[in-house]
Amino acid sequence: MQILGPAELSNRILARDLCTLCGACADLCPYVKSHQGKIARLFSCDKETGRCHAACPKTGVDQEKNSSSLFHKPLTENPLGHYRSVHMARMGSLITREKQGPGKEFQNGGSVSVLVIAALQMGMIKSAILTGSHGIIPDPRTVTTPEDVLECAGSRYIAVPTMAMFNRAASKGDENIGVVGTPCQMAGLANLRTNPLEFPDFKDPTGIAIGLFCTWALDGDGFLIYLKGKEIDPAHISFMDIPPPPAKAAILTLGNRQDMTRREVKIPLEDLRKLVLPGCAVCPDMTSLYCDISVGALEHDPGWNTLIVRTEKGERLVDYAVEKGLLTTAPISGESMDGLALAAQNKRERAVSAQRSMGMLDPEFQKPLKPEPQKTIMGFR
Amino acid sequence: MSVLIRGNPGDTHLMMGNEAIVRGALEAGISVAAGYPGTPSSEIIETLARLSPNTDPDNYPDIYTEWSVNEKVALEVAAAASFAGLRSLAVMKQPGVNVAADFLMHLALSGVRAGMVLIVADDPGALSSINEGETRLYAKLMEIPMLEPGNFQEAKDMTCWAFELSERLNMPVLVRTVTRLSHASGSVTLGTLTIPDRRAFFRFDGEVLDPMEGPIMTPPVEIKHRSQLAKLDQAAEIFEGSIFNTYEGPEAPELLIITTSICDLYSREVVNLYDLGNRVGILKLGTTWPLPSRTVLERLKTTRKVLFIEEVQPFIEEAVKVLFAGSDMVGQGMAGSGEAGSGTPGSGTAGSGMARPGIAFYGKLSRHIPMAGEMNPERITRALETILDLAPGLNGGYPVGQAETLPIPPREISFCPGCPHRASFFSINMVLALDNRRGFTCGDIGCYSMGMLPGGFSTLKTLHSMGSGSGLASGFGKLGRFGMNQPVVAVCGDSTFFHSAMPPLVNAIHNKSAFTLVILDNSGTAMTGFQPHPGLPVDTIGNQVPSIDIEKVCRAMGALTRTCDPFDLETTQQYLLDCINDPEGVKVLILKQACALSPQKRHTRSFEVKVDKELCIGDACGCNRICTRIFSCPGLIWDGESLRAEINEVLCVGCGVCASICPSNAIVLKEI
Repeated sequence: MQILGPAELSNRILARDLCTLCGACADLCPYVKSHQGKIARLFSCDKETGRCHAACPKTGVDQEKNSSSLFHKPLTENPLGHYRSVHMARMGSLITREKQGPGKEFQNGGSVSVLVIAALQMGMIKSAILTGSHGIIPDPRTVTTPEDVLECAGSRYIAVPTMAMFNRAASKGDENIGVVGTPCQMAGLANLRTNPLEFPDFKDPTGIAIGLFCTWALDGDGFLIYLKGKEIDPAHISFMDIPPPPAKAAILTLGNRQDMTRREVKIPLEDLRKLVLPGCAVCPDMTSLYCDISVGALEHDPGWNTLIVRTEKGERLVDYAVEKGLLTTAPISGESMDGLALAAQNKRERAVSAQRSMGMLDPEFQKPLKPEPQKTIMGFR
Repeated sequence: MSVLIRGNPGDTHLMMGNEAIVRGALEAGISVAAGYPGTPSSEIIETLARLSPNTDPDNYPDIYTEWSVNEKVALEVAAAASFAGLRSLAVMKQPGVNVAADFLMHLALSGVRAGMVLIVADDPGALSSINEGETRLYAKLMEIPMLEPGNFQEAKDMTCWAFELSERLNMPVLVRTVTRLSHASGSVTLGTLTIPDRRAFFRFDGEVLDPMEGPIMTPPVEIKHRSQLAKLDQAAEIFEGSIFNTYEGPEAPELLIITTSICDLYSREVVNLYDLGNRVGILKLGTTWPLPSRTVLERLKTTRKVLFIEEVQPFIEEAVKVLFAGSDMVGQGMAGSGEAGSGTPGSGTAGSGMARPGIAFYGKLSRHIPMAGEMNPERITRALETILDLAPGLNGGYPVGQAETLPIPPREISFCPGCPHRASFFSINMVLALDNRRGFTCGDIGCYSMGMLPGGFSTLKTLHSMGSGSGLASGFGKLGRFGMNQPVVAVCGDSTFFHSAMPPLVNAIHNKSAFTLVILDNSGTAMTGFQPHPGLPVDTIGNQVPSIDIEKVCRAMGALTRTCDPFDLETTQQYLLDCINDPEGVKVLILKQACALSPQKRHTRSFEVKVDKELCIGDACGCNRICTRIFSCPGLIWDGESLRAEINEVLCVGCGVCASICPSNAIVLKEI
């Protein structure tokens, strides 16, 4: 795949609504910024090749390059990507639901939160970029303490450009930054970590990358309008969960744990499907292929996570977390593995088909645009 | 300039057209002059202002000079003086007459008392305007007499005589000039300065229809209108013998050029260049409304081809054709054949064996002269080539250069180094782009009109007339009910605010329109030469006077108002974000920072600015020369060899804003 520039990014991805708001293109320069949950283009940049285009997972992921740089292995056909081991996992005895404070609630096994706490404790990372929330509205943050990590617990269903925050931290000179993100965010991160424009003084500031399983994300504006129509106050939503099939509805919990009026509201999945970002349709990655550890739900047990350990670094972190009682792991059944692989394969096939129909697999998609210089008011081009 | 009052009668001096007009007004003995800054008219009031204060009233005139808040008020101020028996002058550029038009119409009907002259300076080709409006049609529309000086001597003489004419008719007189006359210079022989001996007193107790003693008003309208028309007939009669209508050429020219204003000089230039003096006659009209019909028709009878040379609209062309159509020349079977080179004899209507052939009229209506743009000798040459069958491609011996092949880099016009508008537009542009709802900015008139250009980041999306940005925004801000969710921003300057932005602001607040007004307060009327306005504590002469606080006015009207320094990009952007995130009501943000060329700022410097070339990443991904390519202050230069930015130490004025936009913090400031 070709590394092109901001014009191609703008024209082929942003203008065509293929952006899934990972944020990897944003805050690397003055021209592409993340602001209030959206990607904004400021002024005009005429560079022929740019990190924005290279980072974007939709312009094309150099799978060969990412595989070799992250895993030191060639590309694999396995729909679950490269991994060293797969487990069931949940938070260990040290942090239980009872001991958890009045902060956010864990999703499933709560493994992501405890892994980040473990990484901070063992000094693998100095800070972590997580996505907290106000009610249902996601809010990327930099955290450095276990309490702040716990404040970000729970899954976010609305897309938000968290990677832009990572870019800001990296350009400040931060090192050993931990990141938790969706597959597109992990792909964007992986792209950037390969130093695509070959800067001579490039340093990878990533401490650990934890990816999430994901099938789709919601458009924030659309979802808020929908909730308003249902007279649900987004600020009061303390928890959202989408149970595995055959569930037909998502469950919103209004009011936090201490709230006497706490109640649950069901949202039909077919309503939610209409609010999914169009760009999610072309995403082939269900389990976050390009990171150190991937974490998601375990289909048959809502109290546990599926944990995919991909790199040696990820393995070290998991071992530490288990040792310190922060994380509990158990062997995963063959049935679960098969189910997971099938789901991942299906997503990949749907995405490739969608990409083909959007022209993203055509050779034209990799060619530079030749925009006509526009005339200014005084008549110059 | 001091020759304007110290020169002796009979002395000849080189002076600008506008200065000649000033001398003419002084010779007529004016006491009051009012105007609003506008190129190419501004020097008139400026020059008069510099002649005050009067320290020697026995030998030099005492004149009250005022930069009024807008042209309508300027005309009213001058009219008051005239009503009180003092000769007065009102000065403006063409769009200013549009602003003053309502009062002008009523003034023409009511009449004036002491001589009152309205000087209007047009800008054909829009050299310093965003329109090339035509003032002369106002004379016809408002039914007042009009004079057009054709050279510098006439600029003085006609201005002086206009007061006399005005008093004879009790009507305001329009004197129309253009850029090439107002701003060029020529020799002028001075007349006698008049120190007026008049005491201001407004008489109003007399008979209702008595022009000198009664109240001054327009009713009874039909009677007054008829008397106005009678005065115009009188004017036409006076004009018949005027020395300002000149003819040069053979008695029966092959082609008669009818021209006015500075076009006379272009016409003479071309006729001389091609040595056509024996074929072409030039009738220059100086009294152009109402037209002296006998003077014109007599000349028409001597020729079969007429070419009109004027700018911008075919005003004289149409008026002469109307005269011709109503004259006995047509009655005698002489038809005007009009267009495109068809001056064949006997091509008229059937007549009684007539012997007189038709006249071919050439000009803008026949497309021999372009309808838009400024006149120049080349346009006249092109027309003559067709009409007189001259050899094509003549260019009067001017060598035709190879300009197209010279590697001239495109240079857009832009803001000065240190201009607060550059910083303001940078912030507005950034905030609207970040907001991502396709918000836009309605522009207004001033230096900041350049916000429509790349130097202003093409921020302005509408641009019309004084105060119209706020008016449009008031309208846009009500369209939410029809589905519009784009944030609306309007900009206006401090002078523009007083001129005409207050009524639309009141309208918006009262009607609950939702928009953000950004007032770019640079402490003066900068574009036209830094004249004062009511927001400043000095008047036209420089005396201390009360100023009007813009922030307080906006608050009193009921708008949410804040002020900050546009050089502080972070605060400005935060305040702007707050404004556009607020979906209701009018928000006013005053960005206050003095103009780089203002008296208080000029020759001062806040910082020494340098680029640290180690930190600068130049055109690499992550910057791509945002300082020289986007911000483009003339003080920033791109060194093509080291591929780094640099500061031009001569042009940089040390405002320090560029340091805030560098993503690598490579621009270093040292406080002085």
